[in-house]
Amino acid sequence: MRLLSWPSVTQLLLAPLVIASASEYNDYSENLLLKSLPGNSLLASFRFVSNGTFDSHHSVFPRSLAQILQQSQTKELHLKFTLGRWDAEQWGRQVWDGRTAGGTGVELWAWVDAADDAEADARWTTLNNALSGLFCASLNFIDSTRTIRPVMSFQPAGHHSPEGLERLHLLHGTLPREPVCTENLTPFLKLLPCKGKAGISSLLDGHRLFDAQWQSMSIDVKPVCEEDGKCQLQMEQTKPYAGGDSCFPLSGVTDLPWSLSEMFGRPIRGSCPLAVVPTEEATHVCVNIAEQRSIFVSQGSEERKKSPELRCFILHENIDFDIVLPELSPSTNLLPTTPPVYASRSLTGHGQERGGIQAVLNNPSSNSTVEFVYLESLPWFMKPYLHTLSATISGKDDRNIIQDIYYRPALDRKRGTQLEVRLRVPPGETVLLNYEFDKAVLRYTEYPPDANRGFDIAPAVISILDPASQKSTFSIRTTSLLLSLPTPDFSMPYNVIILTSTVMALAFGSIFNILVRRFVGADEVIGGGLVSKIRGHIMAFAAKRGRAGGDKPKTE
Amino acid sequence: MSERLGPNVVATIASAASAVAAESKIPPESAASVYRKKKPPPPDTPEGTRTRSLVILSFWIVVITVGLPLWWITTAIYRAPLPLKEMQSWADGRACRAEFPLLIEVEAPTLPDPENLLKTVQHALDDANDFSAHHLRLRLSTNSSQVEDGEESVAATLRLSQGATGSPHSYVLSPSSRAIDLFYSPSYNPTSLSAFVASTLQEIFAEEQQMISYLLASSAPAPSPSPSSGGGNGGNGVKVVNKVNTVEIARKMSRIVKYSPMYHLTFSLFTAAGDPSSWEIKEAVSEYLQPLLDALGGISGFTVDSQIQFYASLSSSVVPTWVPDSEEEGSSGKYSLKKEDLSSFINSAEWPLVSITSYPTINFIIYIPATDQSPLMIPTSSTNAFLLPQWGGVMIHNPPAETDNTHLTKEALKPALDIFATQLLSLLGAPTHPASLPIRLDSLTRQRSAELLVSASSTLGSLYRLTLALPSISIPSSVSTSVSSTLTSLTAACQELRHGRFGDALEEGRNAEEQAEKAFFEKSMVGQVYFPEEHKVAVYLPLMGPVGAPLLMAALKEISRLVRAWKASKLKK
Repeated sequence: MRLLSWPSVTQLLLAPLVIASASEYNDYSENLLLKSLPGNSLLASFRFVSNGTFDSHHSVFPRSLAQILQQSQTKELHLKFTLGRWDAEQWGRQVWDGRTAGGTGVELWAWVDAADDAEADARWTTLNNALSGLFCASLNFIDSTRTIRPVMSFQPAGHHSPEGLERLHLLHGTLPREPVCTENLTPFLKLLPCKGKAGISSLLDGHRLFDAQWQSMSIDVKPVCEEDGKCQLQMEQTKPYAGGDSCFPLSGVTDLPWSLSEMFGRPIRGSCPLAVVPTEEATHVCVNIAEQRSIFVSQGSEERKKSPELRCFILHENIDFDIVLPELSPSTNLLPTTPPVYASRSLTGHGQERGGIQAVLNNPSSNSTVEFVYLESLPWFMKPYLHTLSATISGKDDRNIIQDIYYRPALDRKRGTQLEVRLRVPPGETVLLNYEFDKAVLRYTEYPPDANRGFDIAPAVISILDPASQKSTFSIRTTSLLLSLPTPDFSMPYNVIILTSTVMALAFGSIFNILVRRFVGADEVIGGGLVSKIRGHIMAFAAKRGRAGGDKPKTE
Repeated sequence: MSERLGPNVVATIASAASAVAAESKIPPESAASVYRKKKPPPPDTPEGTRTRSLVILSFWIVVITVGLPLWWITTAIYRAPLPLKEMQSWADGRACRAEFPLLIEVEAPTLPDPENLLKTVQHALDDANDFSAHHLRLRLSTNSSQVEDGEESVAATLRLSQGATGSPHSYVLSPSSRAIDLFYSPSYNPTSLSAFVASTLQEIFAEEQQMISYLLASSAPAPSPSPSSGGGNGGNGVKVVNKVNTVEIARKMSRIVKYSPMYHLTFSLFTAAGDPSSWEIKEAVSEYLQPLLDALGGISGFTVDSQIQFYASLSSSVVPTWVPDSEEEGSSGKYSLKKEDLSSFINSAEWPLVSITSYPTINFIIYIPATDQSPLMIPTSSTNAFLLPQWGGVMIHNPPAETDNTHLTKEALKPALDIFATQLLSLLGAPTHPASLPIRLDSLTRQRSAELLVSASSTLGSLYRLTLALPSISIPSSVSTSVSSTLTSLTAACQELRHGRFGDALEEGRNAEEQAEKAFFEKSMVGQVYFPEEHKVAVYLPLMGPVGAPLLMAALKEISRLVRAWKASKLKK
């Protein structure tokens, strides 16, 4: 099988480098999890963690990113690039509890240290512009209309002091339209100490990676404190990637053979010498496949079996590493794990004026109620009616489903709508969340060059809450939507100028003429003006020609 | 021919003519004969003529008093008034003649007649000086150490004392103070001593003088004081040095990073493999470089950061060649880099060297080659380092093979940081001469003031030319404020220079430069909307054409009628 679904997880972690030189190797670790998914798909999840200091001397933690964080006073950062759709029905729940995957396109949220909202906005802009340059993405287009301040959906993952926490502002921005491609992967690799030249990051090659059905790239930076109060800045870079090949009906019958070099185009080029010295727990590569499947690895690697279904390997420096799995029939799928919620969202309604959104939220569990926050960040030109918001279970309106609503209405051209709804779905039930909206008419210059393609609406974020702590434990994104707005004819302004001018000129001309002209009878006209003179000449000429024509036959 | 046309045709012509009849109220005499059925139109009443004239007049009054101003106001571009004349005179270097009077205090407790010596030396200096803007003034130390407020700073203190018997005149500069210790020979005659003192002082300040004269000359297109115009005496060879060094000075100037009140220093360790993985850069910088940075603090501030980049490869165009030490097979040798390789040594595509600070970054790089390319040498450099003009410095470090290569200690970094300190000074433009650091830093202050003065003036000049060249560009009032602030600062800087208060001059120059840049790079000015003339025609014509034509025709007819009426009344008389 080929890459169907392989998430790769990269994590980077920053910690202060007051440590002795020998222990500095602990500042960086990397590992790769390969997991077979139903439907002959494979999930490859890369994870890189680097630790760095808060001061300005950097080693494994990238200086470029640290400088940006410092310049914008960002204390915690989450940046996600995602492409494709995670098929939860087939593949089950996402790795890392969905924390490392964002919505389609680019999603960014950060806790910025600032005294007030205005300062936070200014720093947020600095952050976006700087990250935009670093990652070659259009993050600078995250302006106030695409920024929201979620209230219930996100909680800081790092350790912040209580007084510091009060000054932190959470800002969240999305770019659903951004295509994620190799130009974003290259800067991502540059942040890694081994730069894709050794270690598991050597598999991350742009040529093959973007063939995947789903892939995500995430960077999470957070401060991590030890119990004695010493703090470190930790950056976690994750890159899950799902790929596969199930284009023929055989897919369900046999497990197709695959190997690392076949899927990624190259084997792993030895281990990265900067990564943590592997131990029993910390291994480089783990493969999660059914117990019956045999596995062949290249020489010079050590195997650690953690469980029958999880086999791990330790790499050595400068020795290529490859994994080969032969074909196996019948198929031996692992049992897919079910996510806490299945979610899908679609546009309803028709016409150019109004529309609606319907989200289908299903709780697959047979015994436990699930509680989550549904977050929508809508552009200002989509004006939802809050009174039409309804949640129904099998056609019946149930007042107990919606627990809480946080709504911040849009301001034209200034900010978008923010809608957070806390829902509780009983076991095995499906909730339909509906609301209607108006489509605004944009100004001529506000349309993109390809206005008829439609406008992308950012994916909804679903954060599953832990019943006890009310903190988010798992997150799911719906797909993005394409909203078509009434599109004008773009030659319109000039037409308008011409038409109004003509009407004005007509009105002016007739009034002016009535006031200035002298009216006489038709037979009282003394001579003609220029026009009548010309007309007279033409008539005379025509008459002359007519006579000449009539004469001709005579002369012959 | 018209007789041959039927009556129907005539009627058609007549009705067609009636539609446009009003266009001409003057009956062409000949036309009357064309139409047979002709009735004269009823005579035009004088009231009718009068009303018509008034109507046309009122239309024109409305157009001129309301329409045109309205059009003008709604389409006008705001251009704040700028002091163009002043700006131009600064740009031409006519507004201020920068002067650099250097005060030198002389302490000569043992000398019998110091005043006389001072006079002779001053004479000799003035005679030899061919660049009058930069001159040395001697003053006998009053021994009273109290410094009045606003007193000009002393550039150097000359301490004259008797040397050992039999020795010639000599002088010593201490590297950490402004004092020049001059030892005169006990068997001296005043002439030889004064000549020696004069040449010593000239030697010490020669480089600075050349730099400043180069700076000022390069700014003003007007003929700069030519070296040949100076007196031919003096006999100290400064002039010869001057000419020889023009190329050298130009080369030096081209290296200098543009002045900024803050610089960001980035120390990067690029290693071709995975080690060394740590270095004591923090300690090394604070020990070896921080004293210099503190000393430079009066001129510019510095922020420092560092990074290690592993697996950093050279760009593919850089291929070191293997040079064996001897002809023997298998002998040791080294990899050497050609001069062309150095210009493309920095692999900017892959090496993350960009900073996001708002002020300029100066990069210092230590490169550790891969083991299969080690030792890597630059044959033309004894220190194995090179300087990239206006950008930073690079040093190639070949760690000794037998040592532990995973960690670079502070001591191992010392040679590199010493080189970087020298490179930093030359990047900032400090003169390489004399040995005394305070004097060099003072020189740097004066040089930077001159540079700021020149660059702020030339920015003003550019702004001046820009506003003249683009009449459709808008000038917001903030630009005008910035320009006037620049002018104030420039004048103040010029004054401070003349009074020898160079620190204040630098401060004013800094402000002038900042304001001038702010004015020139004003956002709303840069973002000028490109609106070509033909588009304007396309927008205006649909309205202006149909409205303007009847108005104009009516006015013309009315005027010609008035003229005829006037002529007729004249004839009657």
